Amino acid sequence: MPHFLAKANSQPRWLFPFVVTFVACLCVLPLARLVGAGISSILSGKALALVLEPSVWSAAVNTLTTSFFGMIAAVLIGGLFALALTLADVRGKWLLSFLFMLPTMIPPQVQALAWVGMSGPSSPLLKALGIAPAMGSPQPLYSVGGIALLYGVQHAPLVYLSLRAGLLALPRDGIEAAKLAGASPFRVLKDIILPLSLPGIIAGAAIAFVSGVGNFGIPAILGLPAQIYTLPTLIYSRLASFGGNTFGDIAVLSAMIGLMAVAGLQIQERALRGRDYRVIGLSGASATFRLGRWRPALEAFLWLLLFVMLIAPMAALVSASLVPAYGVVLSLKTASFSAYEEILFRQTVTRTAFGNSIFLAGTTALGLLVIGVLAGYTLTRGASRWTGLLSAMIEIPYALPGIVISVAFVLVFAAPLPFLGVTIYGTIWIILAAYFASFLAVGLKPVVSALRQLDPALEEAARLSGAGFYRRLFDIIVPLIAPAAGASVILVFLISCNELTVSALLWSAGTQTLGVAIYNLDDSGSYDLASALSVLVVLMVVVLMLLLELMAARLPKGVVPWRN
Amino acid sequence: MKNLLSAFSALVAVGMLATSATAANLVLYTSQPNEDAQATVDGFMAANPDVKVDWVRDGTPKIMAKLMAEIEAGSPAADLLLIADTVTLERMKQAGQLMAYKSPEAVNYDASLYDADGAYYSTKLITTGIMYNTAAAMKPTSWADLAKPEAKGLVAMPSPLTSGAALIHAQTLAAVPSLGWDYYKALQANGAVAAGGNGAVLKSVASGEKAYGVVVDYMPIREKAKGAPVEFVFPTEGVSAVTEPVAILSTTKNAEAAKKFVDYVLSEKGQEGFLKLGYIPARNGMPVPEGFPARDTIKVLPIDAAAALKATEEDLKTFSGIFGTN
Repeated sequence: MPHFLAKANSQPRWLFPFVVTFVACLCVLPLARLVGAGISSILSGKALALVLEPSVWSAAVNTLTTSFFGMIAAVLIGGLFALALTLADVRGKWLLSFLFMLPTMIPPQVQALAWVGMSGPSSPLLKALGIAPAMGSPQPLYSVGGIALLYGVQHAPLVYLSLRAGLLALPRDGIEAAKLAGASPFRVLKDIILPLSLPGIIAGAAIAFVSGVGNFGIPAILGLPAQIYTLPTLIYSRLASFGGNTFGDIAVLSAMIGLMAVAGLQIQERALRGRDYRVIGLSGASATFRLGRWRPALEAFLWLLLFVMLIAPMAALVSASLVPAYGVVLSLKTASFSAYEEILFRQTVTRTAFGNSIFLAGTTALGLLVIGVLAGYTLTRGASRWTGLLSAMIEIPYALPGIVISVAFVLVFAAPLPFLGVTIYGTIWIILAAYFASFLAVGLKPVVSALRQLDPALEEAARLSGAGFYRRLFDIIVPLIAPAAGASVILVFLISCNELTVSALLWSAGTQTLGVAIYNLDDSGSYDLASALSVLVVLMVVVLMLLLELMAARLPKGVVPWRN
Repeated sequence: MKNLLSAFSALVAVGMLATSATAANLVLYTSQPNEDAQATVDGFMAANPDVKVDWVRDGTPKIMAKLMAEIEAGSPAADLLLIADTVTLERMKQAGQLMAYKSPEAVNYDASLYDADGAYYSTKLITTGIMYNTAAAMKPTSWADLAKPEAKGLVAMPSPLTSGAALIHAQTLAAVPSLGWDYYKALQANGAVAAGGNGAVLKSVASGEKAYGVVVDYMPIREKAKGAPVEFVFPTEGVSAVTEPVAILSTTKNAEAAKKFVDYVLSEKGQEGFLKLGYIPARNGMPVPEGFPARDTIKVLPIDAAAALKATEEDLKTFSGIFGTN
């Protein structure tokens, strides 16, 4: 009887310690090491000297300015799309929202490359159309404003998602009542909808700000040619020109990024305090506003925005990849696929990068699925009072920009591993470990939400019938959360396949990822090859997103971020 | 779940196989552009099918920083270097970081082109001159032309912090009495920008972002042949030159294969490969690539290698001071 009881116990004894150890090793240990390095740098006085360097100062100011204005742009663009696509009777919503989500799924460095190809005197697209500005006129995007604008485009979908979730929960009867009482649509928007959806806007703005603070791809492509540094690119260039106190310096710099991110989230908490609105009544307001004759105008405006944000840059990217040599005017006659030929059939780095990225993304996605199911189970079913702490530990690396995680991993793993004596610095395994830490929360969320929806009665019934933990796991829990788990796998795969920030610091010979390969090609002046590889990556992203879209009907609500 | 677990372990296994398969016999750190690095490595691997070479490309100062960080961490990944200039390698030789190897191919080279102890061998001659976009208003013929008002805001040049050739170029011009650092100050005052490597300058001038560029010879000559609207000029004062030497690191675990690589790039076949890519081969009795003037008509400005070696830090500071780079 005791044996039977133990077998049918709620969960095996190893589960909780296993999950805690895993999370502690990947999330807590590196960050503790980072904090330690930062403190020792402060105590030795080197941190102060560093912070007083003018280049560090200007990088910090640039980081804040670009992220702040990027946030404003993201709120304006994302807010408009969320309001229009959720509340108004605009046609073609599915296509609009799918296309609008793309910029955030496309790697930032690809986005930046595409925009560079769309503007300035060297744009192959503008040249082909015969409207390129005169030789020697500056590239307008190589500026603080250009970086902020691209942050806005890249992060607008984040605001969109956050605001949309709030808008969908709006009480329909309140709006109906106001309308019946004769309030104009503008009045309804101003007095009912905006105040109630403010928490969504604030949360979205905070995510946009924090994402901007940690962005590496955009300021690397747009800032470095004009000597405009942000903190992430400063860390990169300090590490690239390795000197005496490099490790201590980058620890302090990344701690500064971490502080900015945390401050941003704190301001969000402040702003949200006292705005915990609970709404009652029917929610799910759809097409509240009939636009009437304004509808074509709004639709045209939305499509125009999408054209500038997505379609024109992508057209520029494609045309840059087809140019046979720099400066040749692109036409049907001059177009050439030689860049694709070079990148697909001659450059071994492409194969290495595709192999590495797919291996890393696949292992991260599937590994995090296993961890996610176990951790999610612990979090939702566990009665331990430590579950709150565990959940907070998982959230830490998610809230911190990827560059901070990478620096922490550099610090921990630059020396050989204790006991084993092998060093994983410079191998693919350090990138894999950093991915596990960075994307744990992304992979966990869909699984946890599916587990929460699951009726515990099913599992309890099985337990009463004597089914052990593994039996219940494989026969009841996994089949029921399978759709959500599948979505989490694709999401993590998509994000880690396109990732640059972490791998830019951790790559070495033979461990280049797709993000690194694109960045290095552009950095060495091979803009055509970088464009060709980018086009291939964008195609891969679109295919994966369509795959998610096909699965969407079978998934719990909210798992595919851009679906209703 | 079981399927997922087995898929996961299969992926890990594939990854391990992949990493052991990509764990090449040789790792080359080079500053050649991506296409050229691939072509060089492909040529070697065709001649030596039993050796697999993996390569990493970056500007000479940057790839050296990467290497130095790895040496500091105790695990340099590279076995071989093929980088812009001998000055950097001379410094490494003095620090005992290079392996001496007497290549049998050395007899075909001028004694000034390789280290007497066999620590490094020059593989080609790369000069730095002026390129211009054919749509530009002025056809520059001398270095001094770039400081003229016609070129205001229209000049791009590589940064010595990124490019090894650019560093040697700056040190060479700084030693010419009629130019000197004052010339660089004049360029800065004329709105010239110094950022990135030679590839970035090529792209910028060929695509019409800037009109004039300070750049290594083979890039614009090769692009012109592909149809790009550019011309390359050997300025009247003379050009600076680097010789892109090859060297073996003393920490290599595969010295025999590394020696084969050195022999290959110095061999007639290896040199023909460089010629085909548009470089002037260093080996005696080789022709120059199409689009180049005869080799003895190119006026190469002298550089005092020993002085350059000593003054490198100082010169970088002077340059950064003028152009405000960091």
